Amino acid sequence: MLTVTLKEPTTVPLEAEALSPDVLAPLKHDAICALPVLLGKRSMRLDDFFTVEGDGSEEIELRGDLTKVKWIGQHMTRGKIRIVGNVGMHLGAYMTGGSIEVTGNATDWVGGEMSGGSIHIGGNAGGQLGCAYRGSMSGMSGGTILVEGSAGIELGMRMKRGLIAVRGSVRDFAGLQMKGGTIVLMSGAELRTGAWMQRGTIISMKPLRLLPTFAHACDYNPMFLGIYTKHLATLGFSIPHEVTQGTYRRYTGDAAVPGKGELLVWQPR
Amino acid sequence: MIRIRNGKVYDPANGVNGVIRDVCIADGKIVAEVDVAARTLDATGMFVFPGGVDVHTHIGGAALNFARGLIPEQHRKATPIFHSQYRRAGIIGTTPTTFATGYVYAGMGWTTANEAAVPVLSAKHTHEELHDTPIIDKTCCVLMANNEIVLDLLENDEQDRAKQVVAWYVWAAKAYGIKAVNPGGVAGWKWGKDCKGLSDVIPGYKKVTPAKMISSLAQIADELNLPHPVHIHCNNLGAPGNASTTIETMKILEGRRAHLAHLQYHAYGGDDWFTMRSAAVEIAEHFNANTNLTCDAGAVLFGNTVTVTADGPWQHLLYQLTGRKWGNLDVENETGCGVVPYVYKEKNVVNAVQWAVGLELLLLITDPWRICLTTDHPNGATFWRYPEIVQLLMNADFRKEQLKQFPDSTLSRMVLPELTREYTLSEIAIITSAGPARTLGLTQKGHLGIGADADIAIYNESNDVAQMFAHPRYVIKSGEVVVEEGELRKSGEGRQFAVKPEYDESIEDFLRPLFQQHYTMSFENYPVSCDRVHNLEVHACKYCGK
Amino acid sequence: MSCTLGEVKNRADFIIYWGGNPAECHPRHFTKYALTPKGKFIPRGRKDRTMVLVDIRETMSAKAADIFLQVRPGKDFEMLTILRALVKGQRINEDAVAETGLKLEQLQDLVARMKAAKFGVLFFGMGLSMTRGKHMNSAAALTLAAEMNAFTKFVAMPMRGHGNVTGADVIMRYTTTYPFGIHMGRGYPRFNPGEYSTIDLLVRGDNDATLVLGADPGATMPKPAIEHLKRTPTIVLDPKVTHTSRLSRVHITTAATGISAPGTVYRMDEIPLPLSPPLKSPYPTDEEVMRRIREAVQRKEPWYPVPTSAPQMT
Repeated sequence: MLTVTLKEPTTVPLEAEALSPDVLAPLKHDAICALPVLLGKRSMRLDDFFTVEGDGSEEIELRGDLTKVKWIGQHMTRGKIRIVGNVGMHLGAYMTGGSIEVTGNATDWVGGEMSGGSIHIGGNAGGQLGCAYRGSMSGMSGGTILVEGSAGIELGMRMKRGLIAVRGSVRDFAGLQMKGGTIVLMSGAELRTGAWMQRGTIISMKPLRLLPTFAHACDYNPMFLGIYTKHLATLGFSIPHEVTQGTYRRYTGDAAVPGKGELLVWQPR
Repeated sequence: MIRIRNGKVYDPANGVNGVIRDVCIADGKIVAEVDVAARTLDATGMFVFPGGVDVHTHIGGAALNFARGLIPEQHRKATPIFHSQYRRAGIIGTTPTTFATGYVYAGMGWTTANEAAVPVLSAKHTHEELHDTPIIDKTCCVLMANNEIVLDLLENDEQDRAKQVVAWYVWAAKAYGIKAVNPGGVAGWKWGKDCKGLSDVIPGYKKVTPAKMISSLAQIADELNLPHPVHIHCNNLGAPGNASTTIETMKILEGRRAHLAHLQYHAYGGDDWFTMRSAAVEIAEHFNANTNLTCDAGAVLFGNTVTVTADGPWQHLLYQLTGRKWGNLDVENETGCGVVPYVYKEKNVVNAVQWAVGLELLLLITDPWRICLTTDHPNGATFWRYPEIVQLLMNADFRKEQLKQFPDSTLSRMVLPELTREYTLSEIAIITSAGPARTLGLTQKGHLGIGADADIAIYNESNDVAQMFAHPRYVIKSGEVVVEEGELRKSGEGRQFAVKPEYDESIEDFLRPLFQQHYTMSFENYPVSCDRVHNLEVHACKYCGK
Repeated sequence: MSCTLGEVKNRADFIIYWGGNPAECHPRHFTKYALTPKGKFIPRGRKDRTMVLVDIRETMSAKAADIFLQVRPGKDFEMLTILRALVKGQRINEDAVAETGLKLEQLQDLVARMKAAKFGVLFFGMGLSMTRGKHMNSAAALTLAAEMNAFTKFVAMPMRGHGNVTGADVIMRYTTTYPFGIHMGRGYPRFNPGEYSTIDLLVRGDNDATLVLGADPGATMPKPAIEHLKRTPTIVLDPKVTHTSRLSRVHITTAATGISAPGTVYRMDEIPLPLSPPLKSPYPTDEEVMRRIREAVQRKEPWYPVPTSAPQMT
C-alpha cells in the first residue's frame, strides 16, 4: 500500500489530480515524489508538500487535513483511496470506477459528473455533490455517493443515474433539475427540494418543504426501498429498519417543467 | 527580406500552376528580386500557396460573444492555448477566443478573414474583438436587410434616399460591405414571425417585400461601387424545399452582382423533414448559368458545434427541434441574433443530406472562381476543420469510403455517390484564396504577383492532404514569418479594411431626428470613429469588374 | 431571450420589474426606455403600456406601476416556478400558492396578461439575483421568458449594477469565453462560480494577494473576506479612498472613468458607448497605472505555465 501524508496544510489550494490510483499504481517511490502538483500557479513536486511511503499500488492512503487539496481521484477508473482527514474540492470528479473513502469532511463538488465507482464521506460534504459542472446537460450518471454527515446546496443537480444517500440534513435545491437516479435524504432538506426535476426519485425520511408545483399523488409503501436499504447496508451505510416500513406520501412534479419526478416522504406512525 | 527558394508555386490568379520558382519578399510585399543578404527559406519539396482568405466567418462581435457565454461546458472540453512568450492564453473549441482565432487561422496558413455579420449598433464591440484578433487582416459586412429606417424608405419608394442611408451606415460601421440576412424575416421576428415568401409583405409593413429589399440592396451595392457585392443569406434557410426560394432570389438578382452566403443551407428539396433531400443539382445549374453570382459553400461536417446567426426565427425553430439551449438577442432597428448549440450526426438523415449538399455544390459548380470554401464558421463546422473538406474534394475514393456508412434510404436523397470529380491543387488554391480575394475585391490578396501582400502558406508535400493543409511548414504574413514548423513565432496585429462609399452629407439631417425618436443612443455616439479601428486601411470604392 | 433597450422602447407593451427599484436605482430607465417614451410601435407611450412591479415591499417604483404584486421575502423562486407551470396550463392548488403571499387568481391574471402582450419584458434586479436562490432565481426569470416565446414575444434582462460590470463581462468573454470567476493559474482560462468567484476566494482565503480595481469589497463582503483582505497584500486602484483602501497595503488614486478618464462603457444591454470625459484630473487613469504595473512585472523573470497534457476540466 502507498501512504501519502500532507506535511502541512497550505493556505493557497493545491491541485493534485496526480493522486489517483490510475496515475500512482504503476509508479515507483521516486517517480511518485516527482509527480506535478500545483500550488496556485506554481508547478511543484508532490514531495514538496507530502511525505511518500511505499511504491505505487491500487490501494492508497492519504493522511492529513487535505481541505485545500483539490481534484483527488479525478478520472479514476479503479483502485481504492482512503483519506484519513478532510479533503478538498472535486473529489472523484468524472470517476468511472474504484472507491474513495473519507474519514473527515469533504468540501464542494464531490463526485462531479461521475459515472461509476463509489465515494463514502464519513463527515460532512459541501455543495454541488454529484452535480453537473456549469453548462453541462447532466450531472452524475452512475455510481454511489454516501455521506454520513450533512451536505450543502444543489445536491445531485441534473443527476441522470446513480445513487446518493445522506444521513444528515441537506440544504436548498437537492435534486435540482434531476433527470433520473435516486437520492435518499435521511434527515430531510431545507428548501426547494426537487426543483424543476424531470424524472428520478427523492426519498426523504423527514418532512420536506415542497414547491407549490408538486402535487400529492398517493400514499404507499415502496417495495424497492427494502432492496435499496439492503444494498446500502452492503456498502456500509445502514438505514434503520423502521423507515422502510410504514407509509410514504408520494408527490409528483415538477409541474413547471413539466416533470415526472417523484418525492417520497416518510409518514412515521 | 526573404527569398522562398525552389518551392512548387500555385498562383492561379497569375496563371501559375505548380511551377518550381522562387518567390521574393521585401517590405511586406512580393517583389521581383531580393539581394543575397535576404533570409532564404528552402522550400524544396514544398508547395507555396497564397495565404487563405475566408470570405464568410463569424469571429467576433456581439452575436459570437453571446454564443461564447452559452456553452461553458464545451469550452471546458476544448483545446486550451497555454500562455507563452508569443501567445496569449485562450481557448479554441467551437467559439475560439479572439487571440486563439488569430493564432489558429495563421497556424493553418489563412491570413485574411471577413466577419460576415455586424450590427451597426454594436460595431464598436466588433472592432474591439477584431483588434484583439492577431496576425490576420480583417474586413466586416454590415447588416442592412432588416434595418427599419431602410425598410421604411423602401416602403415609400424612396430608393435614392435609401442608398444615401446605406452608404452612411457602411461608413459609420467602418465596414467593407453590405450583408443581408433573411431579408424581412428578421424584421418579422421582432413580432415573433418570419417572412418566407419573397413576394410576401414583410410583417409590420403594407407594401415592402423581401424581393424589393434584395433587389434594392444589390442595386445600391453596385451604384456605390463597393468592391464586394451585396452578401446575401437567403430567406428560408434550412427548410426542406427551400431551393425554390434560392432560385427565386437568383432571378431577382439577374443583371446584378451578388454573393450568396453558405449556399449549402439553401439547397434542399423535399416537402418536410421526412422527405428532405438534396437539391444541389438544381441550384448548381441555375448558379452556373448566372455568372453575375458568387457564393461560398457553408459546408457541414459531422461533430459538435454551435449555430450563431442573425436569422432569429430559424434559431427558434431549431431550439424547438432540439429542445436544448437557446439564446436570442434582438437589436433595435437593425437585426437580431439566435444561438443554438448543435451536433451534426451521421445517423441523422437530415444532417447526412446537409453534409452531402455542401460537397455536391463544390463539385457541381463548374467555375471554382465563383465558389469559396467556407463552413459558415461556426455553424457548419469550426474553421480549423477546413482541411477535412479539402481532403473530401481532392480524393474521390475517400469520399466513397465516407458514403459507405449511410443506408440506401439516405443515399437516395443525394447525388454525391455519382460524383467523381477531384479538385486539383490549383483549384484548391482558388477556392481557399484567389477566388475569395477576388470576390471580396481585395486586389492585393490571394495571389503571389509583384505588389501583392506577402501572405503566404508553405506546405510540406504529402499524400495526406488533410494533414498537409492543417500543418503548414511556414506561414508568412505581411512579409514576416509568423509560423515555423507548427510554432508561432511573431504575433503582429493585422489590419482592418473598410470602405467609404460616397454619400450626400445632408443625409445626416434626415437621420438625426429618426435616431432621436427610435434609437436610444445619441446620434453623435453612434458612428465608429476611425481611431477605434486598429490599423485601419480605407479602400477605394472601385469595383474592378472581372 | 433578450434584446437591446431600443427594442423595449419601440415595441414593449408589457413590462415587469421584479426585485428591482428602477425609480431609485436606474433613474432614467422609465423615461428613456421602458415606460414613458413614445416608441415606433408604441405611439401613445405610457398609455400603450402596462407595468407590473413584483417586490417584497412597496418602493418608489410602485407609484409608477399599474399592478403591484407583493411577494413574500424569499419566495420569488416559488412564484416564478408557479408561473412557469401556469404558462403551460398546469393546475396548481390554491393553498400551494399561499406561501408566496399572493392568490392563485392574481398569478393567473398575470399569466393571461403576459400571453396577451405583443412584446413582454421582464427586468429583474438584485432583489432576485442576490436573495436566497441567487443564480437560480435569475435562471428562473430567464427560463420563464424563454418559455413564453411559445406564445408571444418575450424577453428578460438583468438590471445591472453600477460601474462597467457589463463591459468587464463582455471582454472576459471574448478573451477567455467566460464572463467572470476565471482562474488563469494553469496558463489558460478556467471557470467555476463558487470556486473562483471573488467572494468565495476571499472568504476561504484561497488567494495570497488581491488587486481591486473599481470595486469596494471591504464595504459589502462578509467578515472572513474582509479579514483576509487585511491579512494579505491588497492593492486598490480607485478615485476615492474606499473601505477597501483602508484595509489595503497600497492605495493608488486614479482618475474617475467617464469624468476625467476616457474609454468605453457597455450599457446593461451590451451596447458599447464611448465616454468623452469633460474634465481633467491630476491623477493617472486606471489604464496608465495598470500598464506601468504590467511593465514592471514584465521586467521580472517571466512565468510561463507548464502545459499539462490532460487539461483540467474546470
